[in-house]
Amino acid sequence: MVSEFVFATGQYDSGDWDSAPLVPANLIDSMARYTSLPVAPTGAIVALASDDLFRFPLVYLTGHLPVRFTDVERANVRRFVDRGGMLFVDDHNHDIDGAFHKTAIDELSRSVGALTQLPNTHAIYSAFFKFPDGPPNTSHELNGWGDNLVHTHLLAAMRGDRIGVLYSNKDYSSEWGYHPDNKRFLSVDNTKFGVNVIVYALTR
Amino acid sequence: MRSLADRARVIAERGARAVAFAALAILFWRALRPPPPSGVEVAGASIERDLARWTTTAPAEIHVRLDAAPSPLVRDWLRALSRSGMRTHWSAARPLRPVAIVAEPTVEPDGGTRVRLASAVGEPVSIGDAAGLIDSLATGGNAELEMATVEGDLRARGTTYTASTIARDTIALRPVLVLGVAGWESKFTIAALEERGWRVASRLRVAPGVEITQGPLGAIDTSRYAAVVAIDTSAASSADAIARYARSGGGVVLAGNTARLASLSGIAAGSVGGRVPGIAGAVASAAPRTGLGVFPVAAARSDAVPLERRSAAVTVAARRVDAGRVVQTGYDETWRWRMSGGEEAVAAHREWWSRLVSAVAYAPLVRRASTGDVAIDETPLASLIDAVGPATSLDAAPRSNTDRSRTTRLLFAIVVGALLLEWASRRLRGAR
Repeated sequence: MVSEFVFATGQYDSGDWDSAPLVPANLIDSMARYTSLPVAPTGAIVALASDDLFRFPLVYLTGHLPVRFTDVERANVRRFVDRGGMLFVDDHNHDIDGAFHKTAIDELSRSVGALTQLPNTHAIYSAFFKFPDGPPNTSHELNGWGDNLVHTHLLAAMRGDRIGVLYSNKDYSSEWGYHPDNKRFLSVDNTKFGVNVIVYALTR
Repeated sequence: MRSLADRARVIAERGARAVAFAALAILFWRALRPPPPSGVEVAGASIERDLARWTTTAPAEIHVRLDAAPSPLVRDWLRALSRSGMRTHWSAARPLRPVAIVAEPTVEPDGGTRVRLASAVGEPVSIGDAAGLIDSLATGGNAELEMATVEGDLRARGTTYTASTIARDTIALRPVLVLGVAGWESKFTIAALEERGWRVASRLRVAPGVEITQGPLGAIDTSRYAAVVAIDTSAASSADAIARYARSGGGVVLAGNTARLASLSGIAAGSVGGRVPGIAGAVASAAPRTGLGVFPVAAARSDAVPLERRSAAVTVAARRVDAGRVVQTGYDETWRWRMSGGEEAVAAHREWWSRLVSAVAYAPLVRRASTGDVAIDETPLASLIDAVGPATSLDAAPRSNTDRSRTTRLLFAIVVGALLLEWASRRLRGAR
């Protein structure tokens, strides 16, 4: 018997943690579409300050607004990452000088240590689908929204050779924020990198 | 004039007299010669000096009184004297207690030495190596120690013995192969083993025909892997190979309900019972595995050894399968223990998995060429008994000069017989 993978969205006291409500269902759909792994049909919402956080070794975190962790949240995030959990944080603003980016980077650095640029040859880019050029670009980047930059790298806080925190300011939350049925209108499924993130978390 | 027969008779009489006188002369010489030493009793302190003397004087019989188990040198010397025909006995001034000490490499990735001591209860014993005292038992008994490093030889010292040994061998430890579905249990099992120092190869199934792999992969055999961990029933495609691997000497860990696979049920410790949920919240308690769901080992085979229980249910059991070993653990979500357990959970989870694997791992011994100058004496009393037999009290020891008496009696009989013969012959022919 293999326990189901449950896609969990992290809830934190500050900011708008629930700004991308369609992302979980879309990634769950992609997991079911491309893999044979048992996946729970609905996601879960877990408070960073709760002990329930440790029931979900992969937690997705997003938002537009400034992020300030409480002491309990900060301690839990540190313990979560140290024990083998992985936090996937995406800046919903796609704005390098935005409030979320600056405050989230600050909070994550205080919680788990400095975030550094992840090489585009990292295993996460070949965990399931191949992304030889690193993180796939989003339409928001290509359209010049936000900071008008194409971010060529993701950031990460490592634990040994494993990613503890994966940080993106590419705004995947907007890119993947649509109903799964609408995938049929895309020539290329843009959630494939989301599958990589999940498969990487499940295997490394 | 005497006849020819009479002359022959006289010659025979003179011959008989000559034989009698020769025998008397031998008896006289034997009476004057100092007797060889016999029944010598030696205190422990002077034993090496006495052994040297006996080696040259070669007494027929010796007796040694010991106040402690002798050194290997003394024991081998006594054995040599005994084998050379010298009757050798020993007794103890006080009861000598048996002891045994062995050191063997642990089947762990970071090496280490496991020391096992068995000693008679009632005598204090200390265990140490060249660096100093390691531990002691106030009243003796049995002990098992695991040490990361050992300096020189290991010694167990009691009042009446000093036993010594050395870690003579090392092991060749190959990677562990983990098979399962990509999921938290596979991920955290691999993490635990890697963090503990095991080299891990893995094949984790993600989709039909798609596996995430790491490490050296190849045929499942003992030349390649120390152990195989089957996390779940996704190991079905390799089940036959795993069973063959176990029978040929490999170590296998069957987790969760993997033993339900037909090919693996033959090597499993028992059948797989219905899943029993964990106790809510217990994963953070002092008995964290009670908080985990488990498939109990049901209908355990007669040769299976239960290693862990929850109430009446066996949760972990092991058995030998031909040349190999198999552990069946019913837990299928130990990752929850690592993530949600108490402060020690990560280390405890890591140690628990490493123990399971090391319990079955195939780890061929690599003999060291030499033990150097270290004198190994793992069982002093048993070796002494092997060398010269069990202890004999001095009074009970066979101390007779049987050979010497027998020769004397024989010579005396010859003297008497020859004289009687000569006397009778002369009287019968009328001579005086």
